[in-house]
Amino acid sequence: MISRIAPVVVAITAGLLVLADFFIDAAVVDALGLYLIRTASVVTAFALILGLTNVATVHFRKIVNRDKSWGYSVVLLGALAFTLTAGVLTGGPGSALMRRVFDSVLFPLEATIFSLLAFFLVAAVYRAFRVKSFESGLFVVFGIIVLLGQMPVGAVLWDQLPLIKDWVLDVPALAGMRGILLGVGLGTAATGMRVLMGIDRPYAE
Amino acid sequence: MALSETSWVMLLLLAVFLVALCLGKRQAETGRIPDLRSIPAFNKLQDAMARAIETGRALHVSLGTAGIADGLTADSLAGLTVLEDLAKQSAATGVSPIVTMADPTLWPGAQAVMRRAYQGDPEGEAGPPRDVRWLAPQPAAYAAGVMGILGAEDVEANVMVGAFGDEYLLMGEAAKRHCSSHIGAASDPSVLPFVYVTADEMLMGEEMYAAGAYLSSKPWHIGSLLAQDVLRWIIVLAIVGLVVVNTVF
Repeated sequence: MISRIAPVVVAITAGLLVLADFFIDAAVVDALGLYLIRTASVVTAFALILGLTNVATVHFRKIVNRDKSWGYSVVLLGALAFTLTAGVLTGGPGSALMRRVFDSVLFPLEATIFSLLAFFLVAAVYRAFRVKSFESGLFVVFGIIVLLGQMPVGAVLWDQLPLIKDWVLDVPALAGMRGILLGVGLGTAATGMRVLMGIDRPYAE
Repeated sequence: MALSETSWVMLLLLAVFLVALCLGKRQAETGRIPDLRSIPAFNKLQDAMARAIETGRALHVSLGTAGIADGLTADSLAGLTVLEDLAKQSAATGVSPIVTMADPTLWPGAQAVMRRAYQGDPEGEAGPPRDVRWLAPQPAAYAAGVMGILGAEDVEANVMVGAFGDEYLLMGEAAKRHCSSHIGAASDPSVLPFVYVTADEMLMGEEMYAAGAYLSSKPWHIGSLLAQDVLRWIIVLAIVGLVVVNTVF
């Protein structure tokens, strides 16, 4: 019983205190709010250990069961063990060895994956520019206007094109975006309110 | 200790929201549930799970790159609500979805949702939920992990509900190639075009927060939809009124 109620009480109390800190300008409330936010950061760090255990378990199981592409799991666990050991022995992420690992392996790999976006974008645009309905027709027309308006050749073709492009981006596109953001804001507030009232309890078992 | 003008306005809006929420919940409980407009993505979600059960292939659920202690927590919670519904179906049929996330703070939440669903399985047919996976904290590495799962693990349907950035396109395109159905959701307007071009059905912006009302018909969730509408009208009328006042005076 207590294990069910305690997390709800802690979550609601912490939530209300942080909310009060947002509204009330008082030293005690400010200090409490700051303390709770800092505590959340510490808890987040512990979640990383949980995540790490999960990664190791999933891939260890893959190796034991000889699942499809289990060889990659061996590489992953090897890299995990090396990085962890090297990090602990050399003094953490600030050490020369770890910086080298990040600069020479992790960052180039990330850049490589994100560079694929350009090719994926072309494939996505090709698919999007097939007119299947009235909406997709509008999508294509405005897409071409904005595309041409962004390029110097657009102004050469018709000097009004950049101005139309600006209007499209500043008026209908911005209005639509603000409408979406207003809805997202209200949805976020509703979700927050439900968590604060203990209706949604993602933390409970 | 004095409240600023902005704080008073926000407190007033909060109070209106609370009252509307409680009234909406009571209305939903008495059976006077308003007609909710059809959102095809929620129907498709049920179809995707049914197809995964029929074919015996996996269903992948991505909860995005945010956690439960940052500015995009609401998006992550929306993902957990969708997962809750899918997990209940999976517990009844024994087809467990593969659940992935980029932020480790979301992992215990997802694990709890799966465990709750499996504890509620009266037949006890389903095994323990083992496929809740934290992949990597960096968006690019997470996208690479998801692309690997979609390509290698015989995934029938892909569901992506949570907070995403540009990496959405990498995963969306992989889903388009490997999965027979793909449902995407995002709240960030700059990601929505990627969802539009890759997903069979999409949840746009606030639609993803309505999952609890549409999938489980929870009274509090229906109430919060009504409260959102009340507040939306107040904001719209305030904008129009202020424009008129500014123009005339």
